[in-house]
Amino acid sequence: MLGGREVVDFHAHVGRWDALGMVAEAAQMLRVMDRAGIDRACIFGIFHPDGRPGNDAALALARSHPGRFIPFAYVSPLMPDHMVPELERAVDEEGCRGIKLYPPAAGAPLTDPAWDPVLEFAADRGLAVLSHTGEEATCHPAQLGEVAARYPGARFVAGHAGNVAPYRRQAIEAARACGNVYLETCSSYRAPGVIEELVQGAGADRVLFGSDMPLMDPRVQLGKIVTADLTDGEKGLILGGNAHQVLGP
Amino acid sequence: MPLSEPTVNFRSCVPTFDANVGVGHRHDRPAPFGAPHELLAELDRHGVDRALVYEVSGEVISPVEANAALDRWIAGGDGRLTPQYVLGPRADSLEQLKALHAGAPLKAVRLMDAGSPRVPVTPWVLGEALAWLRVEGIPLWVSLADSPVREVAETLAHYPGLPSVLVGAHYTHASVVRPLLRRLPDARLELSRYEVMGEVESLAREFGARRLVYGSFYPRLAMGPVLHALHELDLPADDVGDICCRNLERLLGESAC
Repeated sequence: MLGGREVVDFHAHVGRWDALGMVAEAAQMLRVMDRAGIDRACIFGIFHPDGRPGNDAALALARSHPGRFIPFAYVSPLMPDHMVPELERAVDEEGCRGIKLYPPAAGAPLTDPAWDPVLEFAADRGLAVLSHTGEEATCHPAQLGEVAARYPGARFVAGHAGNVAPYRRQAIEAARACGNVYLETCSSYRAPGVIEELVQGAGADRVLFGSDMPLMDPRVQLGKIVTADLTDGEKGLILGGNAHQVLGP
Repeated sequence: MPLSEPTVNFRSCVPTFDANVGVGHRHDRPAPFGAPHELLAELDRHGVDRALVYEVSGEVISPVEANAALDRWIAGGDGRLTPQYVLGPRADSLEQLKALHAGAPLKAVRLMDAGSPRVPVTPWVLGEALAWLRVEGIPLWVSLADSPVREVAETLAHYPGLPSVLVGAHYTHASVVRPLLRRLPDARLELSRYEVMGEVESLAREFGARRLVYGSFYPRLAMGPVLHALHELDLPADDVGDICCRNLERLLGESAC
């Protein structure tokens, strides 16, 4: 809690990426979350194209620490036959609350028909879909905006909000054009005024705090929000208020 | 305990001296401020007392011209801005630094970006300057964000006793940070971009908090986020005070607060 407000981190990982120093270890994650005032974190594993190992790790973490982690399911069109069955297992049977997508690993933008079964699944159930966005050709925010318009039943979250300036503007445009697009804040590109730009462009009710924990330290990423030139009310929406709307009941 | 209770607003609550602030407009990156009083206002907004500043046109274009342009910032800095001059590969760059040093001892020098345009960070290009800095006891800042890490490590190892500050390490440097700190015992790590979870605490315990220095890399990066994170560290308050202020004061030859 910060200032009496619940804090929800919308972007966190399970698994390891050794070369980048990323090791998801539950005790350390909880210690840092507690220190920073983060109540809950959306968690997913993106290193297995069949989805299952990462999804099981996210579910296990959430079950081991009730109320602290919100599991999301990951699938990839690199293994298309696995996508819907794994989503049915992870979401419908096991309780994942949203879907995480990483188009750069799949080599196909969200506008590629290969993703359609996933997007239809999300729209049918009113799920949140967090998808990496940035300068890579497979993950421009405009692509996310295009599919968000095609699938109004789902809520789309632009991970990293485009990351760098030209694509950040694209992410803002997508949010302005589609009421079901939200902008998530984690990024090691921490230029001055980024959070203010997102709020001025898309509205405080469309911005979500995320950290990319444990790749990045949530205390730094949280610092982007608490040191931004915004009202306490706007910060409250970004830090947790909006997450409730996006995650649904 | 954290230095302060987490809130939705933040200002530093310890003496704070930012080790990495650029002033002026870069050819490809205009700054969000154009005058010293605007920079001071940003320092005040985050509770930062002082900053070590260099002129950013020296990163890529001309250290000689950048250093000449630094005076107006220091003059308008209300005593809160400490000059850092930029070193380039040309002989007139070293001559300029020697002349400045003869007038008023230099406190810190920063190597221009060596990645683009390509300036080999090697003893046969920079050796005379590095040897002079070592003799004079002037610490050298090197940006890992903008220079080949392998060259930086191998070259600085040729100059034991030369204090250095490795600036802008990123999570993509996670596999080299510890070897660098071991290989370069006179080096400190500036923390503006190093945000692998829990790593600042781990490095402080492994190498000592005196090897770590707060810098923001403002205006390339926002000034507040790393400073906020430092206040939430699981470290003794003395260590945080060292990181936020005293280590830089010691490097600059000032008595630590």
